[in-house]
Amino acid sequence: MALLAGSGTLATGGAIIGAIAALIGADRRALPDRLRPSTVGLDYSTGSALRLDERHPGSLNLNFAPNYFFPNGAGRLRLLGHVGGLLGQQTDVDPRPQYDQPITGQEGTAPVVLRERRLSVGLAADIAVALPYPILRSSARLGAAELRWRPEVQFRRHTLDGVVVERTMFLPLTVGVRWHLSPRQRFTLYVGPRFDFTAQAPLGERLDRGGPNIGAFYGEAWYDIDVPITDPARSRVIVTGQINLGYVHSRFDGRGINIYGAYGFAGSIHGGWQMRVRPRGSPIAGQFGVGGWLGNGFSAVLNAGVVLPDPGAKR
Amino acid sequence: MNLRPLLLALTLPALALAAAGCAQPECTIPHYDTAECRVIAENELARADVDEVEVAFRDPQGVSPLPWDPLGLVLADADGRVRARVATLGDLRLALTSAATAPRTLSLDLDNVDPSATLRIGDAVVSAPSDPPRLRRSLTVDVAAGDSLELRATSPCPEIHHLAFVGDIQTNPLQFERILTRLGEDAIDLAAAGEPILGLVIVGDLTEWSYDHEFVRFREILDRAPVPVAVTAGNHDIFLTKQASYNLTLGPGNYAFTACRTRIALLDSGSAQIARSVEGRLGELFDRQGADFLIVGTHYPPFFGLSGDGWTREDQAQVILAEFALAQGDLIVAGHTHALIDHPEVRVGSARVREIVVGTGGADQGLGVARFGYLRLRVADRLEPCFVEVPPPGFAGPAHEPLSAALPYCDGGS
Repeated sequence: MALLAGSGTLATGGAIIGAIAALIGADRRALPDRLRPSTVGLDYSTGSALRLDERHPGSLNLNFAPNYFFPNGAGRLRLLGHVGGLLGQQTDVDPRPQYDQPITGQEGTAPVVLRERRLSVGLAADIAVALPYPILRSSARLGAAELRWRPEVQFRRHTLDGVVVERTMFLPLTVGVRWHLSPRQRFTLYVGPRFDFTAQAPLGERLDRGGPNIGAFYGEAWYDIDVPITDPARSRVIVTGQINLGYVHSRFDGRGINIYGAYGFAGSIHGGWQMRVRPRGSPIAGQFGVGGWLGNGFSAVLNAGVVLPDPGAKR
Repeated sequence: MNLRPLLLALTLPALALAAAGCAQPECTIPHYDTAECRVIAENELARADVDEVEVAFRDPQGVSPLPWDPLGLVLADADGRVRARVATLGDLRLALTSAATAPRTLSLDLDNVDPSATLRIGDAVVSAPSDPPRLRRSLTVDVAAGDSLELRATSPCPEIHHLAFVGDIQTNPLQFERILTRLGEDAIDLAAAGEPILGLVIVGDLTEWSYDHEFVRFREILDRAPVPVAVTAGNHDIFLTKQASYNLTLGPGNYAFTACRTRIALLDSGSAQIARSVEGRLGELFDRQGADFLIVGTHYPPFFGLSGDGWTREDQAQVILAEFALAQGDLIVAGHTHALIDHPEVRVGSARVREIVVGTGGADQGLGVARFGYLRLRVADRLEPCFVEVPPPGFAGPAHEPLSAALPYCDGGS
């Protein structure tokens, strides 16, 4: 239900942006150098709000997303992944009023009660194939569509005081569909079952790993629209932009939107602006972005990356 | 080149950094719908200064290093009468420390005390009748100038006894009263058999909207409870941002206590997450302190299966499961899902953890036949759970389908 609500809200937001784009005449022919995830990049997310004597560092991830394009525009295979985690140790204090004495090295009286280091690793293979036109006849009004399959594994290791907890989310059957709403607009939906593994050990001991539990349904919905910044026909440096809106129906990373008493139903919302800068004729482009996650607080995201030529891609 | 999108892109992180602001202590601006603010409230409300005498709950085991512990609620009336609600089952310890230069006499109402408990100040047994209400002890205590006293209550602990659990009352306190009536009947029968029910644990959602009148009604019902009641908060109990309604009515939501052979740790997961400070204390809260069994009670089930209605911070739910497995805990009892669900083997590493969801306290269970009642645990060589169904009016007996062999009806019916 929350997945439907979140995806529907996201689609509504996309429809509004798309309508505005159409009204101002920005929804035209496809851009020649449309943004896709950087081949290699870094993204930084800010930590949560500060409290006295606490450290809430942001997180830094190294991302990669090389593509292989199938011949004749039949689709593509994208390898998606990241390695990263918290930029240092996160600390949280014990605010109980029983602690009222000054502590050396701290400004307040609350002792540190939780120290955490977090490693984050993810890997997925995203296969997208065009819907089998002309078996299903293409419509100029409906636009093209793609079917997708994205097996994925997400892994988090939390090194806490005296304990290591390793959480793994396995998504082997995530399937998706992308609808090309117009040459510059797309709506993408992924859903699939989820399997969770938890492993734990006292610090310094071997992790106790075991079998999976069936988890809640996983889902994502994305809307994006291309925005040309420079005129591709005239500029020496071609700059293209893209607005992304997303809803991720998972609270695996503790991001969820609570509305009044409806706690723990919804996932998080992402909004972002990406830009690709490519000198005319260059096989390499730079890509930069800014955005934010909304869910259990707000986290701003900055990213930068390099786009390398993909095998099979049209030049 | 149009630079406006670039300027917009640079403005966003600047705004985010500005919004981060300066670091202040936790809960400087209170929002009691956040878990950490309730941690502060529950600890502050476990002590009070009354006529220059500090009245504070302390750990009856003597393990805690803190000057007082969140094991109850201490409030003083305008006329100086102290009302202390004991949050725990089992033994209690209340410290009275005078800072006065003259003797003081405190009038004390102790609520939620086992009627069979013996009260002592020092070594002297205190006479404090328990009627009415049944779980209240009223007494006066003389405290000399600058003196410190300890009021203790100890309850008998037969080898075999029972514990009861339920959650999710919300809009149906009348049904909850029916459950308490049945619990009272069972308590009499089992006490006669030498296996008393030590108390009831309610795993949250006591009210629907967290309004004061709902909490007042709930406290009135608890005053008539047949056995002591320990509670923790659910998401429906923490809606009011500016008032710690749950804590002001019932006391703590994060605490651990020993009821005879069982260590029970309750976690306030009302915000679909626990406070980070509580996450940092899970090892301490799950320390069984020599007890034979360890039970964790929390409103949101740490394992929520296929339900999309789970924790906002799933990482915390899984850390709870991991810490529970490391502590070799015996049972997790939760609510939130309005149903009776037994997860006999939740996999946590190579361990198997049992979790029973008992959201059967009266809250709306949607379409179909509602299953109301309470979970009863027989504490013997092992924990033996069973379910007591208390059907709504109109049903002659258990209204639902049969239960499993692992979780049968207590009366042997099917």
